[in-house]
Amino acid sequence: MSPARRRRLPRLWVMLVGMVAGVTAVVLFAVSTFFIAQYRAGMIQSARTASAQACNQVAVTVARYVRDMNEVMDLVQTSMEYEGADRDEFLRDLLRVRSDVVAVTTYTENGDLVDCWSLDHEPRDQILQNLSFDAESAASADSYVTPPHVETIFESYYPWVVTMANRLPGKETAAWVSLDLSFSTISEYISNVGIGAHGYCFLMDRDGNVVYHPQQQLIYSGLKSEDTAHLAELPDGVWTEKTVIYSITGIEDSTWRVVGVSYVDELVDLSVKAMLRICLGVAATVLAAALGTGWVLSRILSRPLAALASAMERFEQDADHFAYEPVSGTREVEELSDSFGHMVHRIQHLMATVREEEVNLRKTELKALQAQINPHFLYNTLDSIAWMCEQGRNADAVNMVHALARLFRISISKGHELIPIRKELEHAESYLQIQKYRYKNQFTYDFKVDESCLDCLCNKITLQPILENAIAHGLDLMVEPGHIDVEVCRDGKDILFRVQDDGVGMDEEQVRHILHSEPGDRTGIGIKNVNDRLRIYFGEGYGLRIESEPDEGTCVEIRMPQVREGEYETK
Amino acid sequence: MKQNNTRTRMAAVLLGAVLAGSLLLTGCMAPTTAGSPHKVALVVKSSETQFFLSMFAGAEAAATEYNIDLTITAPDSEEDYEAQNLLVEQAVSDGAEVIVFSATDYENTASAIDAAAQKGIGIIAIDSDVDSKEVATYIGTDNYAAGCMAAQAALERAQGQLNVGIINYGLNSANGQERERGARDTLEQSGRAQVVQVVHTKAEAQAAKADTLALLQEHPEINVLLAFNEPTSVGAAEAVRELDAADTVFLVGFDTNVETVDDLQTGEVDALIVQNPYAMGYLGVESAYKWLTGRAGELEPTVDTATRIVDRENLFAMDSQKALFAFN
Repeated sequence: MSPARRRRLPRLWVMLVGMVAGVTAVVLFAVSTFFIAQYRAGMIQSARTASAQACNQVAVTVARYVRDMNEVMDLVQTSMEYEGADRDEFLRDLLRVRSDVVAVTTYTENGDLVDCWSLDHEPRDQILQNLSFDAESAASADSYVTPPHVETIFESYYPWVVTMANRLPGKETAAWVSLDLSFSTISEYISNVGIGAHGYCFLMDRDGNVVYHPQQQLIYSGLKSEDTAHLAELPDGVWTEKTVIYSITGIEDSTWRVVGVSYVDELVDLSVKAMLRICLGVAATVLAAALGTGWVLSRILSRPLAALASAMERFEQDADHFAYEPVSGTREVEELSDSFGHMVHRIQHLMATVREEEVNLRKTELKALQAQINPHFLYNTLDSIAWMCEQGRNADAVNMVHALARLFRISISKGHELIPIRKELEHAESYLQIQKYRYKNQFTYDFKVDESCLDCLCNKITLQPILENAIAHGLDLMVEPGHIDVEVCRDGKDILFRVQDDGVGMDEEQVRHILHSEPGDRTGIGIKNVNDRLRIYFGEGYGLRIESEPDEGTCVEIRMPQVREGEYETK
Repeated sequence: MKQNNTRTRMAAVLLGAVLAGSLLLTGCMAPTTAGSPHKVALVVKSSETQFFLSMFAGAEAAATEYNIDLTITAPDSEEDYEAQNLLVEQAVSDGAEVIVFSATDYENTASAIDAAAQKGIGIIAIDSDVDSKEVATYIGTDNYAAGCMAAQAALERAQGQLNVGIINYGLNSANGQERERGARDTLEQSGRAQVVQVVHTKAEAQAAKADTLALLQEHPEINVLLAFNEPTSVGAAEAVRELDAADTVFLVGFDTNVETVDDLQTGEVDALIVQNPYAMGYLGVESAYKWLTGRAGELEPTVDTATRIVDRENLFAMDSQKALFAFN
């Protein structure tokens, strides 16, 4: 139970708040980390799905467009069978209906322009460079589709087109027929396809040329780029690269592919941020709640406990005068408080009992000692009286007998423990008288008494043991006559008895011996006994103090409180 | 004591409620930034030429991307700086937060721009700079380098002694002056070229044509013509065609439209210095958005948009197609 070794824990509410906050933080962190990871994975999955769906839709639409254009091509090829005006009529109607066909042209095997049908535009006489006829593709295949290029055969009209060309079988002059297609029909559709907030779709061909892009002009102006070379190498499917999801879908019967581009971060980060905010909010709320709870707990638990602890401390310091006030609080605290109350009550009761028993014991002891006072003293005194009578010193003998009688009367005092100081001094003087006769005037004595003290009470037979000690151990051994001073005075609220002799004195060892050893047969009540009685009656602050110097003398101080008649009767 | 306890408990509940309430409030306040779109005014020199139409397309693309309420205005004439100053004031009173500006006049538009900037309006200069310290960034061609390029195009493609006539526009246009300076320096350094005369004409095709005709008739020795913007290039090409001088006069024009592209194919025009007006418009509005969203620090003082030389040889190369022909 050594308090130094016990580890001290912080206050209850601090621990509670700390624990709640800590557990909450850990749980929130774990849950949010887990949830965010799950959420992110889910978001990415759904983003991939959305991207793939958007691309599939675009692919279906573009496939339909390609099919339509193939049908148009079939019609155009069929029309080539007709002659002159019929063919012109048919193609003009076709161009009017299909607004995204910019021109229908026929070429020789070498790529020289044979015929050209177009609304509102005529081909120039000198064509600098015709981008619609791709000699390389024409040499190796019966049909081809070019990447986007500018239409270069007209004057003052330069739209971007894609050329579809088919070989015309069995024709001498016109070996190829081609359609130059602008994107008016599908561009609007593709431009309006959105994936997430900033995602989009674009069209590229097998080699990675952008066929149509919603931000084509940005790309052409060098403000934006698309890594189509890399995308062209990827097979169809959904590819997540860092923060971008690419969804690639091939188009049926075509070399074109749809690419969907969407951004993971914009989809996920917003949600993650929102959730982080919620988490922080919850954490702050929980912390606030923990603080609040801690505060309440400190009110209803810690403070009563602290009150109880301080009550215990006060009890420890002054058990006698401790008055216990019950502490209120939770039931546990109140039970503890009640138990402590019981304990205090019990301890105080026990302490009272012990003191009472002690007093009784001393009283009995004193009575026993008084009863045996002191046969030798009595015999010697009686011998002295007898001797005085023989000598004819009758007056001395009478004094002696009176003194002896007074001595005994006072020491009995009807069984009272406390007697007036006047009586005690009488008792002391009687004793000194007797001893002075017996020691043949080997010492003298003086009383110096503050008259106001005489009516106060003191324990009986307080001075006699001390005087006995002074004569027996101090003066008896001396060759020259000694002197004893007895002084009674006030010292503040206390009364001080001082017995001073000029005898041989004592060393410290002897002083300690006198104060701590039980009286032997020879001696009377004993100095220790006087000291013990005073302490039991009046408390630790009272009792004897001995100062002694070998060959100088001894001074014994007796301190006791002022007790008036009636104040201490019960004791 | 009991009473005291209930009171403290109530106080604790109250405290908790206040804390939770304040948290909820701050939580609700935070994510409310999406409001009405920012207003940006694009004030340029002209709405007639292909050059500015491309610029508008770029500006509109950026406005759509950044959700910006964009208004576009231009004076009727490229020389009318007073009308342009009025347009700037109009933009200010209409509540524009940023003015993206292409100056008709380097000096005479400065006061209107400074006045607008005084009112806390951001200034972004594109294509033609203005003499104001308030310009957050200039986005456009390095005009001196473009002038050098024009002269270089003629020097590389025409043989022998070059007698150069320069068809420039507005004397107060910083762009025209810079281009002329670049061209003169390059021609002088070559040692085989001399500038016969410089004509300052209006930035308008008919006026340029008339002035070019007069110049060529007065100085028949001229075998190289440099025209420093789109309308003067068109006018000069028409003059060359009228004089049937496509083979004898080497014409270097600026910018591109269908006429000059036609003329490049037929030979009246021999080379074009092509700027990137779409990028100027796009980057101008994008910079306005950055300025408005507190990222003005990211803006460079000068952004050089690419310039290229197009001649008959590379007219239909893919890069030239992309630079010359708008994709609609």
